[in-house]
Amino acid sequence: MIEQFFGLLLALFEQTGLAAISAGNIIMMIVGGVLVYLAIAKRYEPFLLLGIGFSCIVANVPGSDLTAPGGLFYYAFRGVELVIIPPLIFLGVGAMTDFGPMLARPGLMILGAAAHAGIFIAIILAKLAGFSISEAGAIGIIGGADGPMAIFVAMKLAPHLLPQIAVAAYSYMALMPMIQPPVMKLFTSKAERSIVMTQTRKVSRLEKIVFPFVIAIIVNLLLPPVAPLVTMLMLGNMLREVLLVDRLANTVANDLMNVITIILTVAIGSTMAADRFLTYTTLLIVGLGLIAFLGGTASGVIAAKFLNLFIKDKINPLIGSAGIASVPIAARVTHVVALKENPYNFLIMHAMGPNLAGVFGTAISGGIMLALLGVK
Amino acid sequence: MTVPDTLEGAVILSVVDFFLSIVIIYGISLVLHLFPYLNRLGNLTDEKLKSGH
Repeated sequence: MIEQFFGLLLALFEQTGLAAISAGNIIMMIVGGVLVYLAIAKRYEPFLLLGIGFSCIVANVPGSDLTAPGGLFYYAFRGVELVIIPPLIFLGVGAMTDFGPMLARPGLMILGAAAHAGIFIAIILAKLAGFSISEAGAIGIIGGADGPMAIFVAMKLAPHLLPQIAVAAYSYMALMPMIQPPVMKLFTSKAERSIVMTQTRKVSRLEKIVFPFVIAIIVNLLLPPVAPLVTMLMLGNMLREVLLVDRLANTVANDLMNVITIILTVAIGSTMAADRFLTYTTLLIVGLGLIAFLGGTASGVIAAKFLNLFIKDKINPLIGSAGIASVPIAARVTHVVALKENPYNFLIMHAMGPNLAGVFGTAISGGIMLALLGVK
Repeated sequence: MTVPDTLEGAVILSVVDFFLSIVIIYGISLVLHLFPYLNRLGNLTDEKLKSGH
């Protein structure tokens, strides 16, 4: 009788997750907890980190069926895997974004390309570390600091590395307020960081309406591999700027964007299962991603300083770091670093120009990469 | 022809991609430099748009 009782208890215990929990699961649950802590206590991008951290914890509870076929987290990830979610994110971003600062001073767009040298440093280092050229390209695009684009390129070049790449890209984007300032200060003097920029011109409604059409045509003509993302970005922006369909623009920018954000963050976090994630490859990718971010920030600042050699109306070189993309996080970082030098220097709108150009810079780099590697 | 899967290939990919990115984005910025000329076509105010002209 007693034997039967304990036998039943043992059988029950074996059916729970407790019997299968590993040290790896516990480590990853702690990682998820740290992400949630950063979101709540430090306010680092709570919109991203809360969902990622929560689903990371749940994905590492043995016995949880949410990440298995039939579970909701699994289908959230399928949306990412099938490249449905990234274009929808871009649709929402387009409807939320005023490209006016970029249109007001197009000369600074070049910073959106220059701040992506980190991508290429990471590609070469990844190849040296033994990754294939396709894997190296997918890892390098982490330095584009653009989550949907990183997912899109990873799915095309190295789908098996998607969890690591997506987590690295989104985590570093959320942690940019910690990553960028030391590099920005390293490459600039106090005097440079204190440069006050002149007011930019006002961009008319007509220009803002024409812009999405022109970019959609250029990107579909020149960069078909990444056209789905940029086209959706421009569609969202067109809905915003025509002022005639506020209901659609608001839905895309708010309700749809919120739903997609929940799906995306849950999908990314749910891929952080210990058995897939706690590997040497992950460590390498996370390290290379960090190098890409640091390299991109440095190259953007250096490029801005270089531009200052040729222009009369000097720019604050800190805005070069915003060219890395990650809208609007990088622009906010620029603004905050400049404010610390001069509390009356409001750089946010100046930084938004290169920041928005960075989105195109990442898309262009990704498109050229896919074309050079023969991927459609 | 695609880039070879070697270190040399990675360097070529990086250099070509970086260079072309700068060229394309510079090209886009040149197009955007022309945008202020659009305003010669007429003035489209927010009020006009919202009221259906």
